Amino acid sequence: MTFKPTPATVTPEVSLGDSFITTRVDAVVNWGRRNSLWPFPFGTACCGIEFMGVVSSVFDISRFGAELVRFSPRQADLIIIAGTITYKQAPVLRRIYEQMCEPKWVISAGACATSGGFYDCYCTVPGIDEIIPVDIYIAGCPPRPEAFLEGIVQLQNKIARESMREQKAVGA
Amino acid sequence: MSSIAGAGISHETDVRSWKREPIKPGKSDDQLEAALTERFGLTRDAKDRWNLTLVLAAGKAKAQLHEVVQFLRDSPDLRFDMLLDLASIDYLSYPNHRGPRFAIVYLFKSLVFRHRLKLKVEIDEDDAEVPSIHDLYRIADWTEREVFDQMGIVFSGHPNLKRILNHHEFVGHPLRKDYPCQKRQKLSINDPMVDQLEARLKHYGYQVVESGEVHLGAPIAAKHQSVAEQGPVDDQKKANAHGAVGAGGV
Repeated sequence: MTFKPTPATVTPEVSLGDSFITTRVDAVVNWGRRNSLWPFPFGTACCGIEFMGVVSSVFDISRFGAELVRFSPRQADLIIIAGTITYKQAPVLRRIYEQMCEPKWVISAGACATSGGFYDCYCTVPGIDEIIPVDIYIAGCPPRPEAFLEGIVQLQNKIARESMREQKAVGA
Repeated sequence: MSSIAGAGISHETDVRSWKREPIKPGKSDDQLEAALTERFGLTRDAKDRWNLTLVLAAGKAKAQLHEVVQFLRDSPDLRFDMLLDLASIDYLSYPNHRGPRFAIVYLFKSLVFRHRLKLKVEIDEDDAEVPSIHDLYRIADWTEREVFDQMGIVFSGHPNLKRILNHHEFVGHPLRKDYPCQKRQKLSINDPMVDQLEARLKHYGYQVVESGEVHLGAPIAAKHQSVAEQGPVDDQKKANAHGAVGAGGV
């Protein structure tokens, strides 16, 4: 049996059929990143209780690929600040954020983490963006689980627009 | 860090046998007033409601407060063996107030007689200092720290009078009426509270050999704190002093 070379008119892509697609690196990497978020819950108040409802089976955050809750910042790429942050806690939050590996994203869940809520006083941080950069703010006091899921989806859309070549903001 | 509980700590020596006494009829407010006002020169607050409020005038607290509270606790007719709370008042913007700016209110209750008493101690602004009663009621340790933190009243004789709610870089006392309520103060670095940790370890019979800060997230080898075993100092602590504890681990 003799070897028959492929005719020069047939390109390799055509010969491979449907088993080959072309795309961009960003698209592939972002697809992986946004569908496998590992959240770290920084729950300090009732929003943290609401986050438990988001993780559990009724609302089921695993439909969005973010069900693997990590309690070490070194294993997480999404930190969810759910609750009131005081100035006494702020260095702790900052340090935990700095311990997370790049790429990392921050969700500020609820009125207190976003703006201080109704704690307009000497001890409460009026919004955690004084301390760390925030990607997504979720409104509510506390936010409904649907709002949490909306925040996750918004973050996924944001990740899809990112590029590996851009250096994300790193806290000085 | 290795758990302290794993070191064979026995609390038996600290716990006294306690049996509930039957509740006895207590004294009425008038009887309490009669028993206390003349003895210590107290006056009854004209505006008191629900419970008797006795006032210790400003200037008398330094000499008399500890004596009064000890009498309330130890007198067999009174036996106020529970300090329910300890609160401070700033009368700066209080309408129609005459008298010293500050006051501390001690809330006492007797578990046997079920009678209650409020003791209000007036405090001048220039001399905001009262004796501590932490040796009579252990709960006064933390409540006095809270009053010191929020209101700036000094408790002389307190073993560890430092801030308890606000952070250690905070300047001023936020519950004073002349503190601007929304003035925020940032904290740059946390108080590692090594002194508290060491005190607790010493309480359990350990000796702190090398002291240092416990840094979360920092390399452990660089900032290592080792707490080694102390030889048994007496028979009671002999059971407590087992192996060494490294407190630097995270």
